[in-house]
Amino acid sequence: MKKIINAPEDVVVQMIEGMVLAHPELLEWNRKYKIITRKELNPDKVTLISGGGSGHEPAHGGYVGKGMLDAAVCGDVFASPSTIQVYNAITKTASSQGTLLIIKNYSGDCMNFDAAAEMAFEDDDITVEKVYVNDDVSVADDASTAGRRGVAGTVFVHKIAGAAAERGDTLPEVKSIAEKTVRNVRSIGFALTSCTVPAKGSPTFALGEDEIEFGVGIHGEPGIAREKLVPADELAAKALQALLADMPVNPEEEVALMINGFGATPLQELYILNRSVSLLLEEAKIRVYRTFVGNYMSAIDMAGASVTLLKLDDELKQALDYSAETAAYRC
Amino acid sequence: MEKLLTADIVVMIDEMAKLIIEKEVEFCELDSFAGDGDFGMSLAKGFRQLKLEWEELPQEDIGEFLKACGMVIIEHCGGASGPIWGSAFRSAAKYAKGKTELSGLELAGLLENAVEGIQKRGGAKLGDKTLLDALIPAAEAQRKSAESGDALLISMRKGAEAAVQGAEHTKDIIASKGRASYVGERSLSHPDAGATAIGILFTGIVDRMQQ
Repeated sequence: MKKIINAPEDVVVQMIEGMVLAHPELLEWNRKYKIITRKELNPDKVTLISGGGSGHEPAHGGYVGKGMLDAAVCGDVFASPSTIQVYNAITKTASSQGTLLIIKNYSGDCMNFDAAAEMAFEDDDITVEKVYVNDDVSVADDASTAGRRGVAGTVFVHKIAGAAAERGDTLPEVKSIAEKTVRNVRSIGFALTSCTVPAKGSPTFALGEDEIEFGVGIHGEPGIAREKLVPADELAAKALQALLADMPVNPEEEVALMINGFGATPLQELYILNRSVSLLLEEAKIRVYRTFVGNYMSAIDMAGASVTLLKLDDELKQALDYSAETAAYRC
Repeated sequence: MEKLLTADIVVMIDEMAKLIIEKEVEFCELDSFAGDGDFGMSLAKGFRQLKLEWEELPQEDIGEFLKACGMVIIEHCGGASGPIWGSAFRSAAKYAKGKTELSGLELAGLLENAVEGIQKRGGAKLGDKTLLDALIPAAEAQRKSAESGDALLISMRKGAEAAVQGAEHTKDIIASKGRASYVGERSLSHPDAGATAIGILFTGIVDRMQQ
């Protein structure tokens, strides 16, 4: 394992500290509970909290700021934060308008965020609502699994719910637009190499020189199939096929497109993938309203990428365009 | 030995913590075939903290002790392990509230309560390829053995054996809960990490009690 770290056990805390040092005008943090919060909290707007295991930087601390999240709770690498951490994030950022938790759909995150929400309601009378993001089409959407995983599409949920909260929408309104975003967003990813969890020190899985894991999760979970690496145009076609089979988009409909890097893939390749995907969308007469290329939801040092489509209407477009000022997302 | 006293329960949890810390890497490896390999680490983190706070844990009765353990576990075990193991401890603590000793039958009741706590939090049932596939058979064997009049340690041994067998059976199940569920049939032939851990821990605890 070759990483720029001091010690595996300090990775999360030192990552947070470094992020806050880079953005002192935006962020503050709580060392004990590993919570990143906005420097200035507005007590009269709906509070938005997300979080999860670390290792997905810039998620979720990078999306804390005006027009997006109020707090991000950081678990250990790839492990949900504890109930007590989430509970403290809820009580420390409570506003007069209630709190919405944006949860990526994983068993651990759901259990901890749910239990924390119950605790905050029972002990502190804080109204807490929840949305679960499940945009990964590589997982079967039925009772045979714990449900689809939340991946890069979560960033769009942060953005759109964040805009609604910032402009003064009520908790039911913010929840409703967040759920609408979840219904209209789909992602699919593929890995070229494994990631290495610092505490483990060796790669999570092994891939041959010419192999990819199609449908990989953002923790290096196995995907749909192990396949031979193919050129970018073919990969793009395969990814789009998987997305559109699950969520049909008609000609002339508009989408936001995210080409998300998993951490170790250079922007050069992400742009090449974006070219391939964009040309195919143009061919299908699907209009790309906005494009996002970069590392938005990474998997530590995994090489690979995901493609996300968010189907847009006027309401979602307006929220997507609303101003945001965070470490990793500005507009 | 007819009954487990509070001091015995303290020794049993001490053994559990010792094994979890010793077997951190082994438990991670069990989880890496179908899960994401964090199980051993998440669990060890909480039980390491438990050992740090050991001297301050209340030991007046079994309920108080288990409840305090549950709080540390909820706060410090990462991932899904915190709510799952924490709710098991808290639910068991409710059963043992005010009790300073447990019969073999009461130990079965305590395990059944732990099962209930886990089910309430995580929604899993028998056959979902989770730790319940070891814990439920263990509770059943404990009850059956105690009801048939077996001595306490014999009933505990039967409980541990049932846990090991239950864990072994998870090899033949395709996971439908937790991260292992994402890989579908690829989870076949690998036992569930949580169930395997229960088998190892219960066996280790009975070994220690027999010494």
